[in-house]
Amino acid sequence: MTTKLPRLARPLGIGAIALIVEYLLLGTQQFANALTLGAIYALIALGYTMVYGIVELINFAHGDVFMVGSFLAMWIMTTIFGLTGPVTNLLNLVALLAIVMLATMVGMGLIGMFIERVAYRPLRHAPRLAPLITAIGVSFILQNIIATAFGPSPVNFPQIVPADKFALMGGKIAYLNVFIVIMAVVLMIALQLFVGRTRLGRAMRSTAQDREAAELMGVDINQTIAITFFIAAALAGAGGMVQGLYAGSIKFDLGFFVGLKAFTAAVLGGIGNTTGAAIGGFVIAFVEVYATVIGYTQWSEVAVFTVLILVLVFRPSGLLGQQLGERA
Amino acid sequence: MKYGKLGALGAGALLVLSACSSTATTAPGSSTGAGSSTGTGGAPGAWCVGGTVKIGTELPMSGGETANGVPTENGVELLVAQVNAAGGVAGCKLATNVQDDALNGVHDPQTGAKNMQTLVADPAVIGVVGPFNSGVAEAEIPISNGAGLLMCSPANTANAVTQPPEGDTYRSAHPDKISYIRTATPDSIQGPSAADYLYKDLGKTSVYIIDDTETFGVGVGDSFEAEFKKLGGTVVKRDSAPKSTTDYTPLFTAAAAMNPQGVYLAGTTPTGMGLALKQGRTVSGMETIPFVGPDGVADLGPGGTQGATITIAGAAAANVYGTVGAAHDLATGSTFTADYTTKFGGAPGAYSAAAYACAQIIVASLTKAAATATDLASAREGVRANAVNSANSFNTALGTLSFDKYGDNTKPFISFYKTDMTLDGGKGDWVFVKQESFTDPNAP
Repeated sequence: MTTKLPRLARPLGIGAIALIVEYLLLGTQQFANALTLGAIYALIALGYTMVYGIVELINFAHGDVFMVGSFLAMWIMTTIFGLTGPVTNLLNLVALLAIVMLATMVGMGLIGMFIERVAYRPLRHAPRLAPLITAIGVSFILQNIIATAFGPSPVNFPQIVPADKFALMGGKIAYLNVFIVIMAVVLMIALQLFVGRTRLGRAMRSTAQDREAAELMGVDINQTIAITFFIAAALAGAGGMVQGLYAGSIKFDLGFFVGLKAFTAAVLGGIGNTTGAAIGGFVIAFVEVYATVIGYTQWSEVAVFTVLILVLVFRPSGLLGQQLGERA
Repeated sequence: MKYGKLGALGAGALLVLSACSSTATTAPGSSTGAGSSTGTGGAPGAWCVGGTVKIGTELPMSGGETANGVPTENGVELLVAQVNAAGGVAGCKLATNVQDDALNGVHDPQTGAKNMQTLVADPAVIGVVGPFNSGVAEAEIPISNGAGLLMCSPANTANAVTQPPEGDTYRSAHPDKISYIRTATPDSIQGPSAADYLYKDLGKTSVYIIDDTETFGVGVGDSFEAEFKKLGGTVVKRDSAPKSTTDYTPLFTAAAAMNPQGVYLAGTTPTGMGLALKQGRTVSGMETIPFVGPDGVADLGPGGTQGATITIAGAAAANVYGTVGAAHDLATGSTFTADYTTKFGGAPGAYSAAAYACAQIIVASLTKAAATATDLASAREGVRANAVNSANSFNTALGTLSFDKYGDNTKPFISFYKTDMTLDGGKGDWVFVKQESFTDPNAP
């Protein structure tokens, strides 16, 4: 294996500089908001980027997979555990969060694999436009299943993490924010380790680099792609649960708006580059929150897409460029 | 892209559903209908083709709007049932043509316009009760004005809907034959009344205003802001967040840094104000201050009703106040509330009585028109002419109503409500506080 340190130094450096700049511009309170929002975008952006890296498909249904994840987490919490409000016992809370997150991730992973098997695999050798359109169709199907099952109006998400806050550097940070950011970082590191150090991860990287050669070397392409979709959907599911805990309310069209911004984050960071997707998520969240701070709320979406256009014009491969496939 | 397709599918489905849902009852017509104040018997005249005429309803009925539209439409159904029981209008039975302008659970002006064209095209429809939202009315009035079909809205409050200069643009087809009246109080009164309440009754001198970028929200936010400043209060910040916003926390965090003593949610719950309330409360500094909203937020739906503010906000709905552009007290001797509960179970909605009153106005206008009508078209024109005539006054459940030259109620009321989370077994409900009457804003 090539040495890890030089490869990681550049993205880590960019990330650190970005974080410091964000903090200085936003102040503690809004910085916490931006970090939390960024964590959610990053988790979804990772899914977009992984799928693109492996099958070169922009999975338009991914935002809706995130939305289904939030509903699955809500359903598990309310129907199986009967939760409605904050859980005060710390041990219970941690156990519940872990179980619900695991269950949501596994459940969504299976749904992601199912979607790939049914909607995308048959079109693997079709012209590239076909799976793109299918993805839009899957997006519609997911939205309408949820709207029919749970109704089109906002649904309450049990806020099991108590809303307590602690003071830090002039702002009041909720424990929930800390949990979200730490959890997202842990998942991202776990993903990097998986892709970089395990056999399956190596299979994923080789498939992304050259599918025929990988097949010739004995990599099971179908299984590899299925696992990629599993992981992508699992991360989106985790993001969905986190979104529900944070926003308190979920809706069937949540995936469209959040997914669009996460997709922007993935492209910004370099589509196909997992580290880039993570950084992109935080950058997009920062741009959004900063627009609010300087008083241009209604322009926040314009700002996000302007940043995207600027990056693509001056650096078309995104901030960090393609990584999953290239770079031997 | 996606929403264009969804909208087309939705509108198509709605058209099909509306065609299936409009019921035509064939009644023999003759009955002994003496005595009731809402129906007259006898054989129907020649104008009553097929023995039935229809009152159309154009309201948001599904999804997040259910708490708004369904109880309102029930008010019309109650009157139709009572009139038919008493023999109909000059022997002619009544039926309803129910339209839904909600798209994906939120009111949609384009869907409303399509529904209005459906109602105009149905010759048996002689008057329409609706719409609920001012933005939808702006899309529909040009159509009803062009066709000469009366619309009576129980809930529209935006000034722009009736008053010049914008109001004139909607009735440009027949400016001297208006076809729109409304019972609800305009926002030029509702916004300032909330400002007065927050400043004088609750004693708060600084406020944060957030609107939902829509016609109603921006209008009521503007009038609130103007009055609050006139009283001497400060508006620490004013934000606009469209209904697609999923995270209001950064907005409220920025506002909380300026220490407002209250928040005004200038918009409706289906366009995000319920979520704004819920998320706004989690920001430190905002947990206990009063949140005030107009009738789009004060939907008077108890906790548990789908799409109601209290349902969406949960515990955050404590210490919330609201204004409704209608009187709370009904006319003396009115049995509306009891009749409504008997027929539908549960209390009437915020605009059920107003919709009932609109239907009463249509029926009274029709009774008058029936004397000289020769066919359905002349009946429709007679209803319109009688309803908008300022010289006419109507005895309704809301009291004696008449309308000025722009279609506004000559005696507007505002009712104030607040939330009480101990009601309904802990789920929460709205409680009436007081009502005030005002003078007609269009009076010379």
